[in-house]
Amino acid sequence: MVKRFNFKKIALLAALGTFVSGTAVASDLVITFDDLNPDKKLAFEAAVEAFTRANPDINVTANNGDREAHKSTIRNALQNDSPDVITWYPGNRMGPFVDAGLFMDISDLWASDENLSKNFEAIKPTMSRDGKQWGVPYSYYQWGVYYRADIYEKVGITEPKTWDELLGNCDKLKEAGVTPFTIGTKFLWTAAGVFDYLNLRTNGYEVHNDLTAGKIKYTDDRIRATFANWEEMLDRCTFVSTHATMSWQEAISPFAKGDAAMYVMGNFSVGQYKEAGLTDDQIDFFQFPEITPGLPRAEEAPADAFFIPAKAKNVENAKKFLSFIATPGIQSAWNKAIGQLPPNSEAEINTDDKFIVEGMETLSTAAGLAQFYDRDAPAAMAKAGMEGFQKFMLDPSTLDEVLENLDKVQAEVY
Amino acid sequence: MATTEFDSHDRFATSSTQVAIAGIILATCLFILYFVVNTAMVQELLGYTQRMHARVPTFFVRLVVVIIAIGAALYLVTGLSVYKRNKVEWAPWLFLALGLGLFMIYVIIPIFQSMSYSFTKWDGLYDIDGNWTGEWVGLHNYKILLDDPNFYTSLKNNILWLVLYMLAVPIGLFIALFLNQTVRGIRIYKSLFFFPFVISQVVVGLIFTWAYNPEFGLLSEFWSWFFCETKENIMGNLTRVCSVDPPSILGNEHTATYGIIAAGLWPQIAYCMILYLTGLNNVSPDQIEAGQLDGAKGWKMLWYVVLPQLKPATFIAVVVTVIGALRSFDMIATMTQGGPFGSTNVLAYYMYDQAVGEGVGRYGYGSAIATVLFLIMLVYISYFLWRMYQDEKEAK
Repeated sequence: MVKRFNFKKIALLAALGTFVSGTAVASDLVITFDDLNPDKKLAFEAAVEAFTRANPDINVTANNGDREAHKSTIRNALQNDSPDVITWYPGNRMGPFVDAGLFMDISDLWASDENLSKNFEAIKPTMSRDGKQWGVPYSYYQWGVYYRADIYEKVGITEPKTWDELLGNCDKLKEAGVTPFTIGTKFLWTAAGVFDYLNLRTNGYEVHNDLTAGKIKYTDDRIRATFANWEEMLDRCTFVSTHATMSWQEAISPFAKGDAAMYVMGNFSVGQYKEAGLTDDQIDFFQFPEITPGLPRAEEAPADAFFIPAKAKNVENAKKFLSFIATPGIQSAWNKAIGQLPPNSEAEINTDDKFIVEGMETLSTAAGLAQFYDRDAPAAMAKAGMEGFQKFMLDPSTLDEVLENLDKVQAEVY
Repeated sequence: MATTEFDSHDRFATSSTQVAIAGIILATCLFILYFVVNTAMVQELLGYTQRMHARVPTFFVRLVVVIIAIGAALYLVTGLSVYKRNKVEWAPWLFLALGLGLFMIYVIIPIFQSMSYSFTKWDGLYDIDGNWTGEWVGLHNYKILLDDPNFYTSLKNNILWLVLYMLAVPIGLFIALFLNQTVRGIRIYKSLFFFPFVISQVVVGLIFTWAYNPEFGLLSEFWSWFFCETKENIMGNLTRVCSVDPPSILGNEHTATYGIIAAGLWPQIAYCMILYLTGLNNVSPDQIEAGQLDGAKGWKMLWYVVLPQLKPATFIAVVVTVIGALRSFDMIATMTQGGPFGSTNVLAYYMYDQAVGEGVGRYGYGSAIATVLFLIMLVYISYFLWRMYQDEKEAK
């Protein structure tokens, strides 16, 4: 899993160093990345290669590991074996590390680098904590409803703009024998996507932030209103019944077969639909419809970012790398390769990809960008919350029990 | 040199030379160890760019150095005349020293460490200066624990596991009795029955997860024969329509734990079976014959003649089954990750989930769960040790 880009050089240096100790050597940069999916891996490696080409005097060591494992190993990496640059999630998820002083404050870089200070306005709040900036995002993507355009056409319905239209579509789909929504909640977070959208559309961006920041209780009337809408959705827009045993990938199967028509998901899923045999003509995207009329539309747009550990040894090179990956050129190439959106507003997007075009349109006009329930809320809260969502989805009558338990966890975690 | 009775036949007779040699080796080892541990220095010497490259070789170098150092220390101690005078008392401790040391470092000390963490609120992080970031909260974690529905679910599941897992013992016994005959190819049958125990727990978990899958699993295929028919859906694809939905065993909080226990029983039965098969080999034919002469057969023969002779096998079968039930972690991790919504957690998994899993990072709370689990297991361990002690006494 460790890719050494210039192994020969290192070996040579090692040999030289043994004999001529004390000779000045070129400076180093150690990067830890966390995505082994083929396209993500290639895009990262391409960016690193471009960086080494631009900075031949820097020895880059790029390590790449499993995404889920990274969530645990980062603790050790930040406290003992610090690389110079490491990937992590912005929003509240970076909170514990920022508070413990394990990430380096890079506000000076944000201020001095013209590209960073000018072209990242929209995402800057997400990268900030205590009024300082802690990382540089390299990619983000939109969430929304992916649907089977061909089924919609057959049933004779169109993209819903309002909550009632959505519920009406669901009724017609069910009449035609199609389950309206597919979902796989085995790994919990997919349910949080649905909850977030219902909450953002029912109560708006502020309430989402206050809830995930622990300022609003789960038994609050506003949150109850969200759950009331969810109950209506469960009732009229049925989800596939076996969702608790499926991962999000497995849940694509009924969608691809035509047994289910819609999927609340992130844009990273498009590749999987196509792998399942669906074409661009068969699938399409719409923004989650409005529930409370007139509410400013906020969207989910989780970002992935690079951070500098406080214990990094080659800080200057690390900052150079962060500046480099923030440039429009790199951001364009990287996100074209992985089918996501560049946070840099100057970067180009792949206009051949209709989902990317719609995503750009969705996010650039949004009134606020949420990270995602499990990134905005502390991990301990998110875990309990998402288990509660799943329980509610399986049996809506447990609502009171679920909300009261979440209040207890909330009181404990924050 | 003091003349003791050991001297004449002692392999370690040359005490002073021995002390000198061992002392030199020991000092050299410590000196090398200092250099190897001080990786920064070594890295600079070798021109390594990152600690990661240096880690593997230094680990082995350290290992070799430590082994040599221990050898030298042993050589040194055994050369002392104090040791020679008290050889009989000291020798067992010398042999035990390494094991005891490791046991202290990896088992005993961590037990007390995690007990002490259970009185704190800590997210598992040290700050940049290596300071511990937690805070002392007294019995707070235990108070929340008593009010946590997930804790009771986990506790209940632990008990379910312990009780239902015991089924492996009688079922294993009956399969063993059934297989304890001489027909052609019996070895093949025995190996086939033993087969599930050879497969890794993770694989067993995966096989059962697939078998239970309500969409494409074996169970749902079987279900389809009775309740489902294949129809064309709106897009013209063939799809299954059921009058009664196939059971979603792992997706339903009432059945999921039983589903995992059933999967775990499969290899465990095989294990108990093999224990009993070996036990049955040692059943004395004389006693069976004597029983037959006295008119015992069937259940009576089994209960009064065979089973008492299988007592050692039963004891071991019960012990390994209890251990197996407490090691349910692997099965849960592969089959449900504690879900749906934590309903298949056991204490061990819940502890992991709260402390380390997915970066939740409630180390204090996780430690409190661990402490409760430890206290529960202590009951069993004490019984086991007491039982062993009694057996030893009887043997004397």
